[in-house]
Amino acid sequence: MTEHLQNLYEVLSKVEGYVYPNEIELNWSILIVLYPYITGLVAGAFILASLERIFKVRILKPTYGIALLTAFSFMLVATMPLVSHLGKPLRAYEIMITPHSSSAMAIFGFVYLWYLMVVLFLEIWFDYRRDMVIWANGTTGFKRFLYKLLSLWTTDISPKAVALDDRIGYIVTVIGVPSAFLLHGYVGFIFGSIKANPWWSTVLMPVIFLFSAMVSGIALVMLIYIVLSKIRKQIVDMDCLDTIAKYLFYILIIDFTLEGLDQIHRIYVAEESFEALHKLVFGKLFYSLFIYQGLMGTIVPLLTLGTLQFYKPKAKIRRAIYLILPVLVLMGIFFMRWNVVIGGQLFSKSFYGYTTFKTGLIGTEGYLMAATWLIVPFLILSFLLWLLPPWKKIETSHE
Amino acid sequence: MPLHIKRLIGVFAIFIALFLVMRQVLRPSSFGELGHFRAKAINENALRPMHYTVADSCTKCHKDIRSDKDLGFHIKLKCEVCHGPGLKHALYANRFKNKELPDSLLLYKPGERKDCAICHNMNRARIKIQFDTINTTMVHQVNVMKHHVTDPKTKEALKCIDCHNPHQP
Ligand code: HEC
Ligand code: HEC
Ligand code: HEC
Repeated sequence: MTEHLQNLYEVLSKVEGYVYPNEIELNWSILIVLYPYITGLVAGAFILASLERIFKVRILKPTYGIALLTAFSFMLVATMPLVSHLGKPLRAYEIMITPHSSSAMAIFGFVYLWYLMVVLFLEIWFDYRRDMVIWANGTTGFKRFLYKLLSLWTTDISPKAVALDDRIGYIVTVIGVPSAFLLHGYVGFIFGSIKANPWWSTVLMPVIFLFSAMVSGIALVMLIYIVLSKIRKQIVDMDCLDTIAKYLFYILIIDFTLEGLDQIHRIYVAEESFEALHKLVFGKLFYSLFIYQGLMGTIVPLLTLGTLQFYKPKAKIRRAIYLILPVLVLMGIFFMRWNVVIGGQLFSKSFYGYTTFKTGLIGTEGYLMAATWLIVPFLILSFLLWLLPPWKKIETSHE
Repeated sequence: MPLHIKRLIGVFAIFIALFLVMRQVLRPSSFGELGHFRAKAINENALRPMHYTVADSCTKCHKDIRSDKDLGFHIKLKCEVCHGPGLKHALYANRFKNKELPDSLLLYKPGERKDCAICHNMNRARIKIQFDTINTTMVHQVNVMKHHVTDPKTKEALKCIDCHNPHQP
């Protein structure tokens, strides 16, 4: 029994003040930080794609295909952090077969499948069907089989059929935009609706999640586009990048304002949780909130992008900026998720104590596992770019 | 309707059909019997080994300590708070001759300074609470670094329990 006590001492060395027993260990670890991060990238990338498709921002054409495939690759992996966080991963499917309308978590499977299959899959499928039919003829072996399989062994590429594809694709995108809002608003809703946690419980949460999602998704596509052009030894389309940067700037402003509003509201209302949160923010969250998320992830990109709206340096310098900024923004949004998920569990609901978050490198919830789920989407994306290269598509005008 | 749309609808129909079949086949057997959960989960949890016993069960054999404790400040503390989980001990302790218990049944005796400090060391968060009529510190706070008594003769550091009876502090 001494062993039991030994564990207790070890555990108690992690806490300060009064903490309820079930608050000592953080139940939602780094993997739960990744989940809203990855879904955010999906929603953001999709919204960028839809800018081109339904809002007809033609100049974004070079990134349309990349954005779609990026969204799809990340979406395939979005649930994996959740599944690997489960104590019994093999029971993960049960959420799908025993849904209940009173549980937001239980609805997730359907929101996810809707977005993956009906929105992303269908949009990509209708967008690529004609090309797959054509490519199937020009290739042999496995690749040819894949094209055949994906085009469901059909070969109809008459103008009428293609026009129909285009129309349906358009409708899917139109449905897709609210769906993307739903997907990510929903993730924020899960946090925002936890009324026992004053750090999470705010109606602004879904909206904040949504805009930070757009910010991160746009930054990711920007980064992938530049890196991809480097790899393919193509010159990047500067007009396109400038336009993306402009949208990033606008949305970053909205995101920043919303988060600022949320904090100001907290400070002004100063509910009973305020002191505890104040200590949290200036203590355990200081670096991740003020330095990584606030300064490096938001203020620096905002100022730089803002300056670029008035003053345009040479293309070379701009390209370098467009390479560095997305990295900063992506890091900032990652820490935003971190501050929400981890920060919300660091203080006791008694408001009299704090605990510590520690995670190892290895193990099912370690950093390596988390890194894996961030790398896998890029592998999937590489495969998809090999199979469905957007730059080899026949030009369509998406009218 | 063009062929490819028909096939696409077919593929989706197959997926939905598969899903419906899955719902029937994979639904856990006792799901829904008692509510929206697996009824068997209750038994599974009930089967988990227990470690703690009920608060009064120590009194049966340690009546003196219990009555000591009930006269002192620690009256509200349960025995197992300090001695650790004691179910096995309480069940089997009287089965040994000469009261010599095997190691596995012995409970921890928290006699070190750090043991008392868990609750009594100064902690900023454990402030005074002052409501209308209540005015109390939650647990008496001692600065363990300063409250450091040594034996006047041997100059050796004393433990808390050298002066305080843990059961009647
Ligand atoms: C069935 C009778 C019985 C019950 C019930 C019982 N004990 Fe004991 N306990 C004993 C015996 C016998 C000993 C060994 C002889 C002694 O030290 O008195 C002992 C010894 C101890 C010791 C000293 C161990 C040592 O290392 O010297 C502690 C501490 C203790 N018991 C705590 C408890 C606590 C706490 C409970 C309630 C969870 C409890 N006991 C319930 C019979 C019992
Ligand atoms: C504040 C913590 C605390 C609580 C509560 C507590 N004990 Fe103890 N107990 C101790 C410490 C410390 C010792 C070791 C004393 C020593 O080493 O001289 C001890 C020793 C004992 C012993 C061994 C007797 C001896 O003289 O060596 C028994 C038996 C015991 N406790 C039973 C109980 C029972 C039964 C209860 C509940 C009624 C209880 N204790 C509650 C701290 C506690
Ligand atoms: C599980 C928490 C806990 C542990 C461990 C604990 N105590 Fe206590 N102690 C209390 C509580 C609760 C009170 C009653 C509230 C109060 O008066 O501070 C108390 C009261 C006291 C008091 C009276 C304080 C006063 O108000 O005058 C003394 C002396 C004391 N304990 C000594 C000890 C010693 C010595 C130990 C180590 C063997 C110990 N305690 C271990 C919780 C604990």
